[in-house]
Amino acid sequence: MLHAHAKASEHPHAAGWQAGLSLVFAARASRSVLAHRSHHGPLRVQRPFYPEGENVCHVYVLHPPGGVVGGDELSIDIEVAQGAHALLTTPAAGKFYRSGGAGARQTQHLRVASGAALEWLPQETIVYDGARAELNTLVELAPGAGFLGWEIMCLGRPGSGEKFQQGGVRQRFELWRDGLPLYIERARYEQNGAVLTAPWGLAGHSVSGTLLCVTNEAECIELVREAARFEVGLFSVTLLDGVVVCRYLGDHAEEARQCFEKAWSVLRPAVLQRPVCAPRIWAT
Amino acid sequence: MNTDSNAKRAALLRLLQLTSPALPVGAFAYSQGLEYAVNARWVHDEATARDWICGLLCNGLARLDAPVLARLYAAWSSYDEEALEYWSAMLHASREARELQEEDGHLGAALARLLRDLELPQAAPWVPHAHTGYAVLFALAAAEWRIALPEAVSGYLWAWCEAQVAAAIKLVPLGQTAGQRILSRVVMEIPTVVDEGLALADDEIGYAAPRLAIGSALHETQYSRLFRS
Repeated sequence: MLHAHAKASEHPHAAGWQAGLSLVFAARASRSVLAHRSHHGPLRVQRPFYPEGENVCHVYVLHPPGGVVGGDELSIDIEVAQGAHALLTTPAAGKFYRSGGAGARQTQHLRVASGAALEWLPQETIVYDGARAELNTLVELAPGAGFLGWEIMCLGRPGSGEKFQQGGVRQRFELWRDGLPLYIERARYEQNGAVLTAPWGLAGHSVSGTLLCVTNEAECIELVREAARFEVGLFSVTLLDGVVVCRYLGDHAEEARQCFEKAWSVLRPAVLQRPVCAPRIWAT
Repeated sequence: MNTDSNAKRAALLRLLQLTSPALPVGAFAYSQGLEYAVNARWVHDEATARDWICGLLCNGLARLDAPVLARLYAAWSSYDEEALEYWSAMLHASREARELQEEDGHLGAALARLLRDLELPQAAPWVPHAHTGYAVLFALAAAEWRIALPEAVSGYLWAWCEAQVAAAIKLVPLGQTAGQRILSRVVMEIPTVVDEGLALADDEIGYAAPRLAIGSALHETQYSRLFRS
C-alpha cells in the first residue's frame, strides 16, 4: 500500500533531472556506520561526522543545484539497520521553483529497523509561487524503531513579498509501522483552495511545520510545553497514539525551526536517551 | 403489500435512528476543536460559524471520513477483516490531535456497545479495540440495516454538522434560528460532498487543516472548557 502511494502522482512529469540517493546505516559493534551509499544525478552526502562519539552517525544531504524545477524528480532512500543510529540534516533550504507546467516531485522514503533510530532534521522546503510540487516523506518503522523528524514548508517567499497564489503543492508526511498507518498527514495546497485562507486551514499564513517523535511517554508533552514557552506564531504539542506531534503555523521558517529545535532538545534525551548535540552546520 | 417500498422505509427509519442526537453515545460532549476556535475568536458569529462548519465539511470530511466510510461499509458487507483493520487504522492515524483521536475512540466504543446490545454481535470486538472509531461502527450498522451507501454517508455528514451546530449555539453563542440557517446551508452542500467523497481513489484520501489541528491541541490546556474536544 505504502509503495503504491509513493509512486502515485497527479502531476505530469516532463523530462527533468532525475536524482536519487540511497543510504544504508548499520551498526558495527557500538559504531553506527554509513555502510552503503549510492547516488545518481545531483544528490550527494558529505563524509559522515561523529560529533558525539561513534554511536551516532551525522550526515548532511546535499542537493548542489539548490532547487528543483518542473519535471525534476528527487528520490531519497534511507535505511537504518538494527542497532544503528543516524542523524540527517541539510545545509540549506530545499526549493521548488516556479514551473512552466510540469510537476516536480521529491520522495523521501525512510526505513528504520527494530532497535535502530533515525533523526530527520532537514531545513525548510520553500515552494515558490507558481510551482507544481509534490513532497512525500514516508517513514516505515519496524516495531521498536525510534524516529524523530520534522518537515517545514514555506509557501511563497514572504520575505520578498511573494505570496503563493498559483500552482499547487501536495505534501505527505506519514509514519507506518508493521504495514499499518501510525500518523497520516496529507496536505493539498492548490491555487484558490479554501485551505490557504480558511480559519481552520493555513489562515493566510505561509509557513507550516510538523514534528513527529515516536513514543507513548505522556510526560514528554509537558517538557515540550515548557521548552517552547516563548512568543511565536502558533505552536502546539499533542500526544497521539504512539507519536508526539508538534505543529507550527506562522510566517517565519526560522521561527518554526527554533520551535522544533527546542522541542527536539527535550524530546531527544527523553525518548532517544541522548543529550542534545546540534549538527555543526546549524551554527553556520 | 409492496415489500420493496417497505424495506426502503425501514432503511430510512434506521438511518434516522442512527443519526439521531438522542443516540446514546455521548456525542454532545465534544466540539471537535470548535471550543478553542471560539475562544481564539476564529469563530465569533453566525457567518464565521457557518464558514467553519461548511469549510471542514467540504474540504475535510469530504476527503477523509466520506471515502473511508464507504470502504468500511464495503468491508462490513463482505466481512473483510483485513480491510476493516486497515481503514480503521487509517482514520485513527489521520486524527490530528489527542482529543480528536480520543473522541473518535470513545464514540466508536459507545456505538459498538450499543450495536452489540441491539443484536449486532460483529460489533463486540470493537468495544475495546486499538483503533475503534465512530465511522467503523456507523458503517456496520448502515450495512446491516440495509441503508444504501450514499444515504448512509449523507446521514453521517448530517449528524456531524448537527452536532457542530449544537456546539456553536452554546459556544458562540447563536440563536436557535441561526443554527437552523446554518443547517439549511449544510443541506445544500452535502449531496455534492457525498458525490466527491465517493469518487476519490485510495491515493487521494486525506486532507490537512493546520489551524484546526493546532487549536485542538491547544484546547488540551484551555483554562475553562465545556467540551471534551
